[in-house]
Amino acid sequence: MMKKLLFFIGFLFIAAYSSAQIVNDTLSLEALNQLLIEQVERLAEESEEDADYEDLLENYIFYSENPININSDDIVHLLELRLINVFQYEALKNYRKYYGDFLFLDELEMVDGFDEQTVNIVKSIVYIGTDHSKDKIKVKDMVRYGKHQIVARYEQVLEPQQGFATASDSAILDTPGQHYLGSPQKYQIKYSYNYHDKIRAGFAAEKDAGEMFFTDRVSDTIQALLGKQYRKGFDFYGFHLFAKDMGVVKKVALGDYQIAFGQGLTLWSGMSFGKTTEGSSVMKAARGLSPKTSTSEYSFMRGAAVTIGFKDFSATAFYSNRAIDANVSLADSLDDAEMVSSLQETGYHRTLNELLNRHAIRQQVFGGHIAYATNHLEIGYTLHHTLLSAELILKPSNYNQFYFQGKSLTNHGIDFRYARNHFAFFGEAAMSNNKAFAGLVGITAKPTGYINFTLLYRNYDKRYQSLFSNAFGESSRGQGEEGIYFGVQASPLPYWTFLAYTDFFRMTWLTSQAYSPSWGHDYYLKVTHQISRRANFNLILRSKTKMKNSTDDHVFAHYPIFYTKNSVRFNISYQIGNDWFLGNRADYEHYYNEDAVDSQGFYICQDITFKPQGKPYSLTFRYAIFDTDDYNSRIYAYENDVLYSFSVPSVFDKGMRIYLLGKLKLFNALTLYARIGRTIYSNKDEISSGPSLIEGKHKTDLKVEAIYKF
Amino acid sequence: MKRTLALIIVLLLAGRLFAYDIINPVGGRAAAMGRSSVASQGLWSILNNPAGLAGLDKMKLGIYYENYWMLDATAYKSAAFAIPLNYGTIGLSFNQFGYSKFSENKFGLAYARDFGRYLQIGLQLDYYLLNAGENYGKKSAITFELGIQSKITDKLTLGTYIFNPASLTLRQTINNEPLPIVFRFGASYRFTKEFLGQLEVEKNTELSGCSFRGGVEYEAFKDFFIRAGAQIGTNPQNQQGILTFGLGYKIRFAEINIAGQMHQALGNAVQIGMIFSFGK
Repeated sequence: MMKKLLFFIGFLFIAAYSSAQIVNDTLSLEALNQLLIEQVERLAEESEEDADYEDLLENYIFYSENPININSDDIVHLLELRLINVFQYEALKNYRKYYGDFLFLDELEMVDGFDEQTVNIVKSIVYIGTDHSKDKIKVKDMVRYGKHQIVARYEQVLEPQQGFATASDSAILDTPGQHYLGSPQKYQIKYSYNYHDKIRAGFAAEKDAGEMFFTDRVSDTIQALLGKQYRKGFDFYGFHLFAKDMGVVKKVALGDYQIAFGQGLTLWSGMSFGKTTEGSSVMKAARGLSPKTSTSEYSFMRGAAVTIGFKDFSATAFYSNRAIDANVSLADSLDDAEMVSSLQETGYHRTLNELLNRHAIRQQVFGGHIAYATNHLEIGYTLHHTLLSAELILKPSNYNQFYFQGKSLTNHGIDFRYARNHFAFFGEAAMSNNKAFAGLVGITAKPTGYINFTLLYRNYDKRYQSLFSNAFGESSRGQGEEGIYFGVQASPLPYWTFLAYTDFFRMTWLTSQAYSPSWGHDYYLKVTHQISRRANFNLILRSKTKMKNSTDDHVFAHYPIFYTKNSVRFNISYQIGNDWFLGNRADYEHYYNEDAVDSQGFYICQDITFKPQGKPYSLTFRYAIFDTDDYNSRIYAYENDVLYSFSVPSVFDKGMRIYLLGKLKLFNALTLYARIGRTIYSNKDEISSGPSLIEGKHKTDLKVEAIYKF
Repeated sequence: MKRTLALIIVLLLAGRLFAYDIINPVGGRAAAMGRSSVASQGLWSILNNPAGLAGLDKMKLGIYYENYWMLDATAYKSAAFAIPLNYGTIGLSFNQFGYSKFSENKFGLAYARDFGRYLQIGLQLDYYLLNAGENYGKKSAITFELGIQSKITDKLTLGTYIFNPASLTLRQTINNEPLPIVFRFGASYRFTKEFLGQLEVEKNTELSGCSFRGGVEYEAFKDFFIRAGAQIGTNPQNQQGILTFGLGYKIRFAEINIAGQMHQALGNAVQIGMIFSFGK
């Protein structure tokens, strides 16, 4: 008890101390933050893991620091970032057409379909200027107006984890997946340069917790075994150079980049908000080429790409060649050809196993896209080819028999989008070289000012294969799925918004979780109310039913049964005075399947943010308690984090979670962030399992970040 | 003996073991409104959400009594005293559940303060004493509770309350038996001058599931109040609901509130509370 008390007092002390020193940021990004928080939470729930969202979210930070000129064609970025829907985009273009350039940002309120929330979000990310996007780039300006930024971050779990315990060589060789060969710290450093969003360049390096760095604890035997995988330095290095709007050359990318076209069925590297809330955003607006500045280690391109545009036509060509992680199985003794049994997507290289798989094969991707775009219509064609340096042969199983295997894969597809003031059609049809089709088609319409709806049908053949597909769907694979989605968004009363959707889906082949074709549905309702200028709340109800194999041990064959997750989430946030922001949240989760007892989970928290106006510091604190019967009724809760880091941990079992995040701005150029969080369990003495096992009741995470701008 | 046994059975039925009943909201007004109270003000806030003490206008003394079956062993008693000063309100509280062979007691010293129109904060230091009879002895804990209230519009007040946020445990026990954390938040909405509604959710870490509470209050005649409310739980062992109703009457120097509860498993109970005001 004494220890706990001390910890708590320490916490309060840190709170008091840092509040005396820390900074308030420039923009009030509250509305934008809330939008993103919710979408990232959904994404975490869908993918059932806390992935690296930096790749997806750093664009929002970039554009809030390098605003978009509302009077230029760059407003398409607002659509690409899903900050406005297609109708609002069309209305914005129409407004400019009839009334000329924006002179005041308050004019946004007069644009058709812009409610208060949209106006707030857009305001935080645009500025008013004359259109310079066609101007020539001068080296002098690049030097004078270019911005440089260095971000350095350290993070660590403070409790000792089992995988870091000293182990003998024989122990490491016996259980090669259970011992981390590196240190428990995570380090990341990024440098970036930008001249507006016209020229961007930079590099990034990262070492995850458990990965080897300059010092390590590896014996000579292990070193010899690792061979070239035994290295000094960071685990990941990346660099990017990106330029846009240089005459006919619309975009050019060197180094790491992301590429996305159409609705993501044929080619969409990087992450995307799959099935998220805003019905009117189901229609994707692809960004084409964009720089990849994050340190995420999977699903991106490394090489060169260029987009040229002439009148209504544009054409993109790209080439990528990079080493990827794969599980190398026995080499064929006859012709010495290499074979791999799976591709690894985590980007972790901590254990002997992971290190041996590191960069095991090369992946080459090349292809292109041609597009024709007029005011309302866009049509595109994409073709690309993937070539692996080794044959991918999966461990044979019923569910994976239509998965991609072999060395090469070709995909091509046609996408279109036709948007008018009150409706938009969109779709994409794709084909892989085994002659399997995948297609989706949708309509989104706004019959009157306060209501819009979206209908989408998708049918992805069970044999359709793509390594870079990221389209709308229940499963992330984009294969073997048929479904229909219907979503409505309405604001019939001032300050009230209702969002609802239903999605019915059918998996046309077995999945790794369900050993027969299966089906399910997803219902969602969200009510948002702006109580006053300073306060709003939302209530989310959701019910999702899917099928997966019964875990009943008394039967001989696996057969799928239904399981249902019902959730209720209530969120309220309000501002007190000018400096204090408070929020509460309560989550209730109910899990049910046919052969187990029900389980339920509960999460409740208080958020307090102190952001004194005109002061260089801010402080955020959360106190939460949670109680879930088991892992099935776990709850995903977004947590505020240091800039460029996003965490949506899931909590389960019983206990409490607290964190404190401080921000301090020094001399305008340097911003420091620090965050300490602790989860304390009351019903278990061991946390996690395998190499990340912690013996004890609590887990403490620390992050420190410095951002230097010049 | 028979009575005690019956009591134990009934309490088990209710899904509540012995301890921690004393963290329930008290006061005749709360009792009548499904025990919703986290966003209310007044003297009994001292035990429900000390932030609600911040706006206290006069020195006040209150007593409260509740009993399900009218047995000595199941009586629940509270007393509170609070005085508004220049720098906030301070108060003392005491509540007790049980009888000589088994009782739970809590003594509190509270302080609450207004931080402008929008924010009230309250803090109470507690001494908790569990007296489990000759064979089990006494167990105690020192802990604290925190509350926030915010009147975000003229009509809407929000409240948050946490009992034992640092998860302090009982002393004199072998495994450091936990004292629960109780977390509540909710809102009070004044529809009209005469009509008010309240809603809140509570999580008690020693009970599975959570509770939802709601209540309404209507000032039918000047200073005469009619109240009703309900509480429901999601605890699989304790999904029984409680329906409540009550009356209140206020005169210049005192107010009296009575409430009746109908619990699906435990039967009916009566609560009564009185508050006396001193000074102008």
